[in-house]
Amino acid sequence: MSDDGECGEAIRATGLAKRFGAAGRSVEAVSDLTVSVARGERVAYIGPNGAGKSTSIKILTGILRPTAGSARVLGLVPWRERRRLAARIGTLFGQRSQLWPDLTARQSFTMLAAIYGLGSAKERLRVAELGELLGATELFDAPVRQLSLGQRMRCELAACLLHDPEILFLDEPTIGLDLLAKQRLRDLLVHLNGTCGTTVFLTSHDVADIEHVAERVVIINAGRVIHDGAVAALRRDLLATKLVDVGLAGPAPTIDLPGVEVVEHNDTVLRLAVDTASVSIRAVLDTVLDRCEVSDISVVDPPLEQVIARVYTASSAGAPEDASTGSSGPVELPATDPVRVGRQG
Amino acid sequence: MNAVAGGVRWFLVPAGMAARRMIADRSGLVVAVFFYLLVSVTLSSLWRAAAGHQGSVAGYSADSLTWYAFAAEAAICGIAVRLVDEIGEEIATGVVTAEMLRPASVVGVRLATVLGRSLTLLGVLLVPGTALAWTIAGPPPGLGPMVALVLPAFALAVTINVIMQHVAAAASFWLRDIRAAWFLYQKLVFVLGGMLLPLEVLPDSLRTVASCLPFMAMAYVPARLAAGHPAPELLVVQAGWLVVAVALAVAVFAAGQRRVEVTGG
Repeated sequence: MSDDGECGEAIRATGLAKRFGAAGRSVEAVSDLTVSVARGERVAYIGPNGAGKSTSIKILTGILRPTAGSARVLGLVPWRERRRLAARIGTLFGQRSQLWPDLTARQSFTMLAAIYGLGSAKERLRVAELGELLGATELFDAPVRQLSLGQRMRCELAACLLHDPEILFLDEPTIGLDLLAKQRLRDLLVHLNGTCGTTVFLTSHDVADIEHVAERVVIINAGRVIHDGAVAALRRDLLATKLVDVGLAGPAPTIDLPGVEVVEHNDTVLRLAVDTASVSIRAVLDTVLDRCEVSDISVVDPPLEQVIARVYTASSAGAPEDASTGSSGPVELPATDPVRVGRQG
Repeated sequence: MNAVAGGVRWFLVPAGMAARRMIADRSGLVVAVFFYLLVSVTLSSLWRAAAGHQGSVAGYSADSLTWYAFAAEAAICGIAVRLVDEIGEEIATGVVTAEMLRPASVVGVRLATVLGRSLTLLGVLLVPGTALAWTIAGPPPGLGPMVALVLPAFALAVTINVIMQHVAAAASFWLRDIRAAWFLYQKLVFVLGGMLLPLEVLPDSLRTVASCLPFMAMAYVPARLAAGHPAPELLVVQAGWLVVAVALAVAVFAAGQRRVEVTGG
C-alpha cells in the first residue's frame, strides 16, 4: 500500500493552528484549519490579506511547524519530512524566484536536477519535454536576468515541474504578468492537470485565476475556512443577485418591481440587479419585454469578485452566535462556520 | 560507483557551475588579481623593510616574509564574495525559505556554490602571486616537499573560512543588521588569523588566544608553510577546525531555520 494516505488524498489538514510571537503578544495566523484535497484536484485557496493563506501553505510545504493540529501531504508529515516531501511537490511563488539570475534557465535546471537527484539523461529529456510543453525552449538559453517577467515565469514553471511533482503549490503565480501571459499560464496549469493529473493548489487575488484554473475554491479568513465548494456553486448558491442587461431600442421604461434595482440607465442600456429571492427572473423579463422595445437582453452572473466580497462580508458580519466567538486572528473579523456548497472538502 | 556519483552530484554540480561562472567573469578576475597583487606587494615590502637587508623578524627572513605575505593574502582574497552580506540579504528577503523547499541541505548547496567560486579564484590568484613572489624573493624555501603541504593547506584554509563565514552570516536569522558581526569577523581574520602579520609577531598572550581560535587556520597555516616552516601538524589542526566548522554551520543553520519557523518566514 502506498503511504499517500487514505482515499488518494493529496492533502489533508485537520485542526491546523499557527500562533506567532511570545505568549501574551501572540497572533494566531491560522486557527483550526481543516481542509482536504483529492489527488488531481485543482483548488483555489483564497482569502483577504492576512487571512493565513501563506502561513498555511508554508505549513503544508514543511517550512513552518504548526502549533496545533495535524497534516499529511502525499502521506508525509510536512514539517517532519520536509526534504522527502520537497522531492514530490513543486512550488511556484510569483514574487520569489527559484532560478539563479546569473545563469541561463537551462543551467538553473541542471543545478536543480542535481539537487533533486535526476540523472543527466532524465534531465535532458525532461527539459526538452517542458520546453515543448511551455513553448519556452528558446528562452532556456538566455540569462534569467534578461528575461521578461512573463518569460521568466514560464521558466519558473518549468523549474518547478522538472522533477515531475505530484502537487503544485502556486502562490500568486500570475502576479505582475500581462493579460496574455496570465492566460497562457492558466491554460498551462489546466493542461498539466488534465494530462499529468498534477494536483494544483493555488492562491491568488486575481479572480480570473480562480475562474480559469480552479474547479473548487476554499476561502479562508482569520485563519479558518469560511467557504469550501465548487467555483460554479459559489456564484449560484451564495449570491442570489443576477444582472439583467437590456439593450434598448426605444424609450426607457420604469421598472418598479420589488427586489429589482436599476444599476445603470441611459438611452441605449438598462442594467438591473435582481434579487432572485424576492422576484423571479422570469417576472423581471416579462415586465421588461412588456414595457419597452428590446434590441438585446442577457442575464449574467455578477463578477466573482462580488461573490467573494460577499463571502468576506458575510464572514465579517457573522451570525450572532458566531460573533460571540470572535477570532484573535490577524484580520479583525469574527469567524463563522464554513459555508459548504457543492462538493465537500 | 554511479550511486556514489549520484549521491554527491547535488554538491559537485553547483560547485562546478560556480567555478565555470567564476572563470567566465574575466573582468572580475582581473580586478581580483590586481587587488591581490597590490596588497601582497605592499605588505611584503613593509615586512622586507622591517626585516632589513640581512635581518629577520620573529624567525622569518625577508624572503620568507615575502612568501608569507603573498600566501596569506591569497588565502583571504580567495574568498570570492562578501558571504556574510549575501547570506544576510537572502535570509532577510526570504530567499532562504525557497531554498528550504528543495530536497537537499540548504547549507550544503550554499557551501558547494561558494567553494566552487572560491577555490577557483584561489587557483587563479596563486599563479601570478607565485610568479611575482618568486621574482621578488627567489624560489620558495623547501620548494618540493612544501608544495605537498601548502596546496592542501590552502584548500583547507579557504574551506574553513567559507564555512565559518556561513556560521557568522547565520546571525541574520536573529539580527536585522549583521554588518557589525561582519566587521568584527574580518578584523579577527586579519589579526588573529595571521593575514596582516605572522602570529609569532604577536605578544605571547595574544598568540595563545589566536592559536585557540579557527582564524589561524584560514591564513596563518598556509602562509607559514609557504614561508618554509615545515609543520605538517598544522594540517591536522586545520582538519580539526574543519570538522568543528562543519558541525557549527549545520547546527547554526538548523537553529536558524527553526527561527524562520518561529518568525513565519
